[in-house]
Amino acid sequence: MALAVLPWLLAAPSWADLAIAGGRVYTLENPEPLQDATILIAGGRIEAVGVNLSVPFAYQRIDAAGKIVTPGLIESYSHFGLREIELEPSTDDAALLEYPLAPAFDVSYALNPNSTLIAVNRMEGVTRAIAFPLAGVDPLAGLAAAVRLGGEFLLEPRTALVGYLDAAATDLAGGSRAAALQRLFRAFAEASRFSPSRYRPGPGDYSRHDMAALKRFITSGKPLVLAADRAAEIRRAIDLAAAHDLRLVVLGGAEAWRVREALAAAGAAVVVRVHGNLPRSFDALGARLDNAALLHEAGVRVIFTGAGLGGATNLRQMAGNAVAHGLPWHDALAGLTRRAAETWGMEDVGVIRPGAHADLVIWSGDPLEVTTWAEQVVIDGEPMPMRSRQTQLFDRYQDLSKPYGYR
Amino acid sequence: MPKLNAVLLLAVCLLFSRAGRAAAPHESTYAPRPAPTTLIQGVAVLTGTGERLARVDVLMQAGRIAALAAAGGLDSAALQAGSAAGRRNEAGGGQERRPEAVPVRVINGAGKWLTPGIIDVHSHLGAYPSPEVASTADGNELTDPNSAGVWVEHSVWPQDPQFGLALAGGVTTLHILPGSGNLFGGRGVTVKNVPSRTVQGMKFPGAPQSLKMACGENPKRIYGEKEKAPTTRMGNVAGHRAAWAAAAAYREKRRKFQAGDADAAPPRDLGLDTLAAVLDGEILVQNHCYRADEMAVMLDVAREFGYAVTAFHHAVESYKIADLLAEAGVCSAMWSDWWGFKLEAFDAIPQNVALVDAAGACAIVHSDSAEGIQRLNQEAAKAVASATRMGMTIDDAQAIAWITSNAAEALGIADETGSIEEGKAADLVLWDRQPFSVYAHAEKVWIDGHLYYDRQDASRRPASDFDLGQTVAGQDQ
Repeated sequence: MALAVLPWLLAAPSWADLAIAGGRVYTLENPEPLQDATILIAGGRIEAVGVNLSVPFAYQRIDAAGKIVTPGLIESYSHFGLREIELEPSTDDAALLEYPLAPAFDVSYALNPNSTLIAVNRMEGVTRAIAFPLAGVDPLAGLAAAVRLGGEFLLEPRTALVGYLDAAATDLAGGSRAAALQRLFRAFAEASRFSPSRYRPGPGDYSRHDMAALKRFITSGKPLVLAADRAAEIRRAIDLAAAHDLRLVVLGGAEAWRVREALAAAGAAVVVRVHGNLPRSFDALGARLDNAALLHEAGVRVIFTGAGLGGATNLRQMAGNAVAHGLPWHDALAGLTRRAAETWGMEDVGVIRPGAHADLVIWSGDPLEVTTWAEQVVIDGEPMPMRSRQTQLFDRYQDLSKPYGYR
Repeated sequence: MPKLNAVLLLAVCLLFSRAGRAAAPHESTYAPRPAPTTLIQGVAVLTGTGERLARVDVLMQAGRIAALAAAGGLDSAALQAGSAAGRRNEAGGGQERRPEAVPVRVINGAGKWLTPGIIDVHSHLGAYPSPEVASTADGNELTDPNSAGVWVEHSVWPQDPQFGLALAGGVTTLHILPGSGNLFGGRGVTVKNVPSRTVQGMKFPGAPQSLKMACGENPKRIYGEKEKAPTTRMGNVAGHRAAWAAAAAYREKRRKFQAGDADAAPPRDLGLDTLAAVLDGEILVQNHCYRADEMAVMLDVAREFGYAVTAFHHAVESYKIADLLAEAGVCSAMWSDWWGFKLEAFDAIPQNVALVDAAGACAIVHSDSAEGIQRLNQEAAKAVASATRMGMTIDDAQAIAWITSNAAEALGIADETGSIEEGKAADLVLWDRQPFSVYAHAEKVWIDGHLYYDRQDASRRPASDFDLGQTVAGQDQ
């Protein structure tokens, strides 16, 4: 036990120990919150949580009376650090567009820890995220990375393998998803018995490098993420994951509710984009606002993304709308925290219990409401500055009568 | 030759009038559906005029808001008699008609909230419908940077399933615009969010059309890729100014022709017709523009050629020149928090709407999105919360105007809709709780007093032709 604790104690940075006192704390260990509870934080981890805890003298105290405290939120689908401005290709490293280096394409090499998106999203309570490769020239887009929105940015490279089987991906394998799926099934089958000396790639086949990466992935225990909306592709995704004993995460899944029993039986998770209820493509004719609720009822793990054109509030707004359309409130919160952490293999994250990472948010009210905000964000025990480029612009322009042009 | 045209025109007019067709070409054929007398009792109201009324009774009669009174002030029994009397009067003096009791539909509004119907000033529904495929992408005529002659209503597909989804979000009126790829995108149209076989059947009677203009990245990017003007922002503005100069000359020729100078007759030009109508004040300018400095330039262009900009759309930097916009009397139609997807949106801040409002300028929250249009109430709520977080004070009663009365103002329909006042159209949304909550649902939506949507009644949820035989989007099944 002591040995298990030591590494993080040794790595503990120099900031003060913290106490967050008086809040209504959702620990995610139990749906019922702890009222008027105190969280003690030492060495970046949670030391204790409970009511009637006394705060040791040396601890910096943050008053959370009348506030709600939750674990930090996890954005399960982002391009943080990979793409600064969508319409400026020079700022975008998310997709491989020129030559196929598919299963081996590792986005972590390009992650920019100084992205302005980090502070903007952290202001809304997001503390960790998965940075995804986008579809490029192959149904397999590459390897995603886990990132943290404070302190060291890269948490874990190659945290999941990502493929795209949605409507936009039809062109990725010569114009038919039949070919895309065949390519995937064949590559996975070959990769599991791959040996560099015996592999003779033909034209259009994955390189040795790719096959080696695919083989490493298959044995890594990390999740396979497949973007798919139509029930038909989701079923094939389940088959592929089952054939190789892989954990499946469906990204998007507009029609996932139609195959919810199969997804539940497969132990799959779905990253739901709650607002995506339009029959936007012929893959998404069954899109509906209660997708998350139906999946949850069937026993499928529901996690969230706020991806879209909107701001950083989107993530929790979408979770709130999932509640408005039938998902139990605490399960929505879990999808933003504990269940996302479990899905992405983040240990001791997304829960408030002794030993867990001290990623915490103090909210002005219900974190799933659009009328609330994050008052203080803490990442690995460090209170984050509640400032971003946006707050600096606000400060500059709040009073237009001030002399213009200087900090 | 002109004489012959006039004769022909007369003949055509006669033909239509004989056939009993009241509407001139392209005019609205919207026909209100039955609007039973409806009384909502004891409901909390955000009027759209800055007021919050805690518990009132609201009466809809003949498609209008007939009365507002303190709770209990409107007696349904008395109303039934009154309603019968009203009907007798409508029947006219010539016909003998026995008074009969007209049932008043009574709705218990306790714990619920009533707002004006939500108005979206920036939508592409019907022109960019779902499914979003090349064969239905009809919003941007990208063959010339000046496509002032196109009318987006000629692209609108009334069967777009997105209309019904927007209705479930409380949207009763929307302004559909052409896209922003061109300097002059064409004419926009205001429609009522009603199921209809034709776009004419949705057109808001009497609402002015708009001219969609654009500055910034889009025109220069699109034509830059084609190696055709404009490729720069200065090219954008030169394109605007050249067109306005041509429009002024066209208008002058037309004036001379109308004054009797037969030789002055200019050949008909659809694009110049649109621009001249702007100069005549008949068409409102809705100008897509992100950056503060570019909005200031566009105000100069407007001053140079003698037209008014009604609203800047997207306007993510309006907060930087909120004082100039207040002084110029120009509205800003904004997202609450869209940010950073293109460089000209990099300085967007979530306090934009509130800062514009606080400066005394007209602030509007728009969607520009078939998803966002379904929850403009939440977008307004986020704009309030973002401002409150930074120490500003914004009242919900004030903020509801961003998606109702201010929007109506910018569309030139504020006399008709956008607020809960006696005499206005009964375009109303009954919410199951305070509408700025993420958990709030539009429970009932009326347009001109007809109940077009009822969350509790599956038969009152519109389904477009496209929805048939498919899964009905967004609905329980």
